[in-house]
Amino acid sequence: MTATVRGRRRRRVVLLQATCALVTLFMALPIYLIALAALSSRESLNRFPLPLLPTDVSTETFRAFLSATGVIGGFQNSVEVGVITLLLSLAVGVPAGYAVARYAFRGRDPYQLFLLLTRALPIVVLSVPLASVFLTTDLYDTTYAVALLHTALALPTTVLITSAVFVAVPVEHEEAAVVFGATPLRAFLRVVLPQALPGIAAAAIFTFVTSWNEVLGAAILTLNRRTLPAQVLLTLPDSPLAYRFAGGFALVLPALVFIAIMRRYLLNMWSTTIR
Amino acid sequence: MIDASSIHLNRRTLLGLGLTAAAAPALSACGGASTTGADTGSGAVSFLSTQFTPIEERQRFEAILKDRVPDVPVAYNPVEAGVFASTLTSQVDAKKVQVSLAGGVHGDLAPYANRFEDLDDVMGALGDRGFPDEIATLAKLGGGSTKYIPWMQASYVLAVNKKALQWLPPGADVQRLTYDQFLDWMTRARQGNGGRPVLGLPCGPKGLYHRFFQGYLLPSFTGAQVTGFRGPEAATAWQYMKDLWANTATASTNYDYMQEPLQRGEVLVAWDHVARLVGAPKDKPDEWVMAPAPRGPKGLGYMLIIAGIAIPRGAPEEARAKEVLTALTAVQTQLDVLRQNAFFPVVTAALPPDLPPAIKLEADAVARQQGASDAVVALPPIGVGSRDGEVSQVFKNTFKEICLDNRPVQPTLDTQARQLNSILDELKVPCWRPDPVEAGQTCRVR
Repeated sequence: MTATVRGRRRRRVVLLQATCALVTLFMALPIYLIALAALSSRESLNRFPLPLLPTDVSTETFRAFLSATGVIGGFQNSVEVGVITLLLSLAVGVPAGYAVARYAFRGRDPYQLFLLLTRALPIVVLSVPLASVFLTTDLYDTTYAVALLHTALALPTTVLITSAVFVAVPVEHEEAAVVFGATPLRAFLRVVLPQALPGIAAAAIFTFVTSWNEVLGAAILTLNRRTLPAQVLLTLPDSPLAYRFAGGFALVLPALVFIAIMRRYLLNMWSTTIR
Repeated sequence: MIDASSIHLNRRTLLGLGLTAAAAPALSACGGASTTGADTGSGAVSFLSTQFTPIEERQRFEAILKDRVPDVPVAYNPVEAGVFASTLTSQVDAKKVQVSLAGGVHGDLAPYANRFEDLDDVMGALGDRGFPDEIATLAKLGGGSTKYIPWMQASYVLAVNKKALQWLPPGADVQRLTYDQFLDWMTRARQGNGGRPVLGLPCGPKGLYHRFFQGYLLPSFTGAQVTGFRGPEAATAWQYMKDLWANTATASTNYDYMQEPLQRGEVLVAWDHVARLVGAPKDKPDEWVMAPAPRGPKGLGYMLIIAGIAIPRGAPEEARAKEVLTALTAVQTQLDVLRQNAFFPVVTAALPPDLPPAIKLEADAVARQQGASDAVVALPPIGVGSRDGEVSQVFKNTFKEICLDNRPVQPTLDTQARQLNSILDELKVPCWRPDPVEAGQTCRVR
C-alpha cells in the first residue's frame, strides 16, 4: 500500500521534473543556438550539417559587429531610452492604475478600452506627422523624443497591469492603516505599494522590453542618435548570415540581463498574493 | 556585528549604486550618443542613404569617405527605403532639414524631385567626369534640370561554379548563351546532379527576381518591358520561364542574396545583382565564372541600375555637401567603391588591372554584357515614384501565378495586364527603355 503511494509520488516527481526540463529546453534552446551561431566562425556557418556543439568557437564576427559604427552609441541610447521610458510610464501609469482600481467613476469601462486604442494605430500611418511634430519642437533626433513615444506606447499596458495588481491588494489593509493614523499617501506608500511591487515589476519588465524592441518609431524620430534596434535591426536582413546571428545575440542579451535583475521582484508575487 | 538584514541592505545599496553609476553617463549625454561616427555638430554633413546597408559595406564606404573627403566630416546613415522616404518628406515639409545629402537608386529618389535642389551648377562643374548622356538624362528625373548627381551603377549577371560547366551542352559558350541553351544546360545539369536542380534565383521576400522579368526575360523575348506585356511573345517568354522554373531549386523562394546559397554549395548557377553575387567567388575565385545573362530572340536584354545623390531643399550644409559630391565622383573614389563594394563607376574611367579577382570577374562579365552587339538596355520603372513597388508586384504576381500556382499563361497575363494598366493610367507617365520613349504619351500595355 505505502509502496504504491510512494511509487505514484515518485512517478509524479519524475513527470514534474521532465516537464520542467522540457519547458526550460523550449526557452533555452533558441538562445543556445543563436549564441552558438554568433560565436562560430563564418566558414563553419556554411558547413552542412551544422555542428550543434561549440567545435569552432570564434569571437571574430561578434567583435566586428560590436566595433561597427554606432553599435556602442546605439546601445547607450537604448539603455537611456529604456530607463527614461520606464520612469515616465511608471510615474504616470501607477497612479492611473490605482485610480482605475480603487475609484468607480463614470465611464471607467470605456476609459479602459480607450486606453488600448493607442496600440491600435499603426505607427507607419503616423510616421510623417509624428516626425513633423518633433521637428517643430526641436526634440527630433534626441533620445527624449523616442522615450516620449515609447512611454505613449507602453502606458496602456502599464495602467492595465498595475490596476489589476491594485485590485488584488485588499482595501481593508489600506483602511486599517488609515484607522491607525496614517495619511492616505502614507497608507499607499507603506501598505499598498509594497504589496503591489511584484505587479509593478512585471509592468516595468514589459515596458522596458517594449521600448528595447521598438524599431519603427525610433527610426523615424532619430537620425544621428539611433537606438540599437533602429541602428542595426533594419539593416541586419541585408547583412551576411554571420552578422545576423551576432546582431540577434547582442539584442537578446541586455533584455535577458534586465529580466534577471527584475526576477526577484516577480518571484515575490507568489509569496505575497497566494498567501 | 553583522546580521542578515544589514547584509541584505548593503547588497541592495551596492546594486543601486552600481546601477546609478552605470546609468549616469548615459543619462548625462544630452539627448543621446551619436551613432553615425561623425560628430553631428555644425559643419558635419548628414548623408542619408538607402545603399550600403549591410554592416561591412557600410564600414568600407565610411572608410572611403574618410580617406577621400578628409576635410568634411560626413555622417553616413544607411536606412531602409521606407524610413528614407518618411525622413525626407517630414524634414523638407517641416522646413527643418537636417539631411544634407540623400543617396539612393534612381527609383528611391524619383518621387522627391520637387523636394531636391537643382544641381545644374554642380553638374556643369563636373563636366570633365564624362557621365554618359543616358545617365545624365535620367538624373533630371523627367524635368528640365539636374536633380541628382550620378553616384554609381550596377547590373545583374550570372555566377557559375565551374563544377556546373561539365553539363554545358555541346557547342554552347557560357559567355554567349542563348536562353534555349541555358534551359538545355540547366535541364542536363539537374539530371546529371541526381535530379537536384543546380540553378538558383533570388525569389525570396527581399530578392530582386522581379528585375529578372523586367530587365532580362521580357526585353530578350519581346524587346519591351511594358508594351508587350501580354503579347504572344510574352506568352512564349513566360512559358519558357515555367520550363526554367521546373529546373530551378525550389528553395529559391527563400533566397534574397544569391552569394550565400552559392557559397554554401546549395546551388551552382545563379543570376543576381553584382553586389549580391560578389561574396560567392571571393575566397576561391579560380572555381568561378561570371557571365552575361543569356540572349533571346530580340537580343541580350539587361538592366542598368543607377544610384545618385541629391541635396534636399533647405539642406543645412549645402556648400560642404557639394564638396562631398565632387569628391565622390572623382575617378579614384569611384574605383575605390568598385574595389570595396562592387558598384561600378558612372564616370569615364579605365578599370585598373589590380582589381580583386572577384571584382575582376564581375567587371568582365558586365563589360561583355554592355558591349554585346545585340544588347537591349532596360531601366527599372521610371517616373512611377512611390508606386514602384506596385508595378514590380505585378511582375512578381505573374511569376507566382504562372510558375508556382501553375495557372494558364495567357489568361494570367491578361488579368495582370489590366492590373498594370490601372496603375499606369493613374500615373500617366511615358514609357521607359526598352519600350519606345515618347514624351507626353502614357505608357500602357498594348
